[in-house]
Amino acid sequence: MPLLIVKFEGSVLQKVAINGGPITIGRGPDNSIAIDNLAISNHHAEIKSEQGRLVVEDLNSLNGTFVNNQRVKRSALKHGDVVLIGKHSIEIDELARSESPVNPHRPSGGGKATPRVDETFILDTEKRRQMMQEIAASGERSQIAPARVRVATLVRVKGQIDKAEYQLTGKLTVIGKSEMATIRLRGWFKPKMAAQINRRDDGYYLGRGDKVPTINGSPLGAPTLLSDGDLIEVCGVQLRFSIKE
Amino acid sequence: MNAKQIHLDVAACSDKGRVRPINEDSYRISLDRNLFVLSDGLGGAAKGEVASAMAVEAVVNSLRGNGAAGCAEKPASCSEFSDETNFLVHAIELANRHIHEHGMRDPGCRGMGSTIVAARICGSRLSLAHVGDSRAYLFRADTLQQLTSDHSLVAEQVRRGLMNHQQAAASELQSVLTRALGTEDSVSVDADEIELFPGDSLLLCSDGLTRMVPESEIAGIMAEAPAVRIAAERLVERANEHGGQDNITVVVIRLSNNKFRSWVAKFVPWYGANLV
Repeated sequence: MPLLIVKFEGSVLQKVAINGGPITIGRGPDNSIAIDNLAISNHHAEIKSEQGRLVVEDLNSLNGTFVNNQRVKRSALKHGDVVLIGKHSIEIDELARSESPVNPHRPSGGGKATPRVDETFILDTEKRRQMMQEIAASGERSQIAPARVRVATLVRVKGQIDKAEYQLTGKLTVIGKSEMATIRLRGWFKPKMAAQINRRDDGYYLGRGDKVPTINGSPLGAPTLLSDGDLIEVCGVQLRFSIKE
Repeated sequence: MNAKQIHLDVAACSDKGRVRPINEDSYRISLDRNLFVLSDGLGGAAKGEVASAMAVEAVVNSLRGNGAAGCAEKPASCSEFSDETNFLVHAIELANRHIHEHGMRDPGCRGMGSTIVAARICGSRLSLAHVGDSRAYLFRADTLQQLTSDHSLVAEQVRRGLMNHQQAAASELQSVLTRALGTEDSVSVDADEIELFPGDSLLLCSDGLTRMVPESEIAGIMAEAPAVRIAAERLVERANEHGGQDNITVVVIRLSNNKFRSWVAKFVPWYGANLV
């Protein structure tokens, strides 16, 4: 008997077996799966069995119904498919053996016999190539160059450091007196690591070290994403951050 | 800092979580080589726990001896990195072949695979190599920085600017990997090298931690825990409190910034040898 596994943010909320009639999903209390969330329409979608196979149908919902991240009006479902409604997902488990009614708030163990979508798996070569191409293609459509190369530099404004300009090529940049520091401070009583600049997927973040640097004159709190032109000051050294696409 | 007198505090903790019937994660710590290896067996496919155990074992074994001497073949030298890093990459490539061949021979293990993240500290230099979505983090001056880039579909989308971190964290496709160990006859291993500072901490973890516990909470635990053992236990506990949907394994390594202790350890080997 196929099972629908309703999840929100990774946790299982409910498991519903399909035995006969259609399963309706929506915000209204009259649905088989009622989800009280504003992103979901009163009567959002239904999942039913037609000639032995499962079909999901969107009931003209406002925010749409997605199967494996593709918006659909109506779509056949197979084992392992994920139907997304608002932020709730419904996994199709056709291999589930008939079980006693499931306690909706206690997720049961993912046994070996029933592979679950939330288990880590790797795509086979063909499917992976295809999905990577889709990602690359959608990148071009949305006018974002795939794998952007951005070079950040720090230019000395004032202070005692070993160079006038630094390219931030590494993932981690340290400003300090240590010989391992990228930007080496000179002078007595300077900390080995005064501040750090870390590269992440979305840009360069300034963080504290043994000292709290200032950014455009205000003391740094949590690590902060740097923008082109920001002025960093630590231990009497001023550096201008610049980043070009 | 003298390269030889670096002192490490190390602790690890592994738990099957609250949902999975068995623990398919594996880890190995080799204190005499400052080598730390963690692997997460792929679920769904057969025998994830066999694959992850083989992965950590194979990497530790290839680096046995003096690191270099234990390797049967010298790796193709990659000028960008030090020998230690190249050996680590090579050890993972060998582990991949080993798991893949085992999977081909044993029908019960067909298609088995795992992730891997391996770290080795030589002097002040950290060598890192990984495949899959097990991560290495650096915790430096209260800032948590991910050092590895996940080989997963959603991470790829984030890197290409198609998704932000919030969307990635909510995605249903988080568990889809683009690279894994053992599933094919060869694998591309990512490597990195960084200079460590006294007081830095490292965290190696399986996705059972990072998918349950937000990075801000991980950073909080790393900052507050007075000892690595407590940090490791609290991280696993927190993942379980958040649902424990997957196996959770963490290895926490802290570089002592206590000069006296490092100095004593230099003369009294047992003092610094095993603080696990």
